[in-house]
Amino acid sequence: MSVLAFAELLYDSEIGTSLRESLFAFPIVEGIHLIGLALSVGLLFFIDLRLVGLVFRHVPIPQILKQLRPWLLGGFAVTMATGALLFVAGATKLIELPVFLWKLAFIVFAGINAAWFEFKWGRNVQQWGYATTLPTGVLVAAWGSLILWSLVVITGRLIPYLSY
Amino acid sequence: MTSLELFNAIQNSGFGVFIGKQDRMLWAVAQIAHIAGIILVLAPIVLISLRLFGFGLYQQPLPKLAHESSKLIWLGFGLLVVSGLLIFIPAALHYHSNPVFWIKLYLILAALFIQVTLYRWITKQEKPNPWLARSIAIVTLTLWFGVAFAGRFIGFV
Repeated sequence: MSVLAFAELLYDSEIGTSLRESLFAFPIVEGIHLIGLALSVGLLFFIDLRLVGLVFRHVPIPQILKQLRPWLLGGFAVTMATGALLFVAGATKLIELPVFLWKLAFIVFAGINAAWFEFKWGRNVQQWGYATTLPTGVLVAAWGSLILWSLVVITGRLIPYLSY
Repeated sequence: MTSLELFNAIQNSGFGVFIGKQDRMLWAVAQIAHIAGIILVLAPIVLISLRLFGFGLYQQPLPKLAHESSKLIWLGFGLLVVSGLLIFIPAALHYHSNPVFWIKLYLILAALFIQVTLYRWITKQEKPNPWLARSIAIVTLTLWFGVAFAGRFIGFV
């Protein structure tokens, strides 16, 4: 099945149709998507800003990583789930919209960056987390995360303005 | 002067007409600044609420965390006000008839009031009463999430 046919299937599905046609369901899902964003990208930004040394320099890195991780992962689960619903409601238009495809690409890059950080640095944070100068790879991952997630938010907000 | 007359004057002022004539993409840029602003406000509130609940960064002194993150909150709020005015001014009459706009306005006033009273008071304490801290976190989170939610709703009513 082609991607287009799959998008059409989603668009015409019961859940896609009811989301589009309900007066309140769509904005409610949009609202939850935004609140999920505050938890996921919002808390992740705090970790990134801590890594590059712009906030909370007094908080040990292993502590902030360990204690915020479950909350921001929960936030990402909410953001992804509501994002999937929003996609289903507009699948046929979105799948051909360049700015939406850019958003998807930035999410993939940001995800790869996060996975790389976790496997390379997250697991042995005790070894480098207390040093005064952090490994370059950590700083690159933190700046990459800040930039990529910002691009995800920007392209996401542009979707309604570039969709016709 | 009624609020309708005031909103009419705002929209038809020289500045209102000038902004209204700009390209639609200026509006999109204002919307991006607006979402950046709300993330800058909500993220610190979420973080401090986790601390008030004892769910995160509990080994760290609360006043220090709150003081540092409050800079982000006010930076975000400044962005929200500027971009929000750019969005509001050229379409003031359109918003006047939107009930969710008014709900959002009252929620902002309530959230700001709690922010400079209860929130500021509790986050200055090294060891606040746990139940008081949790209650204030819930009120603060509810109001700011309400603002964000109402904001998202405005365009659909």
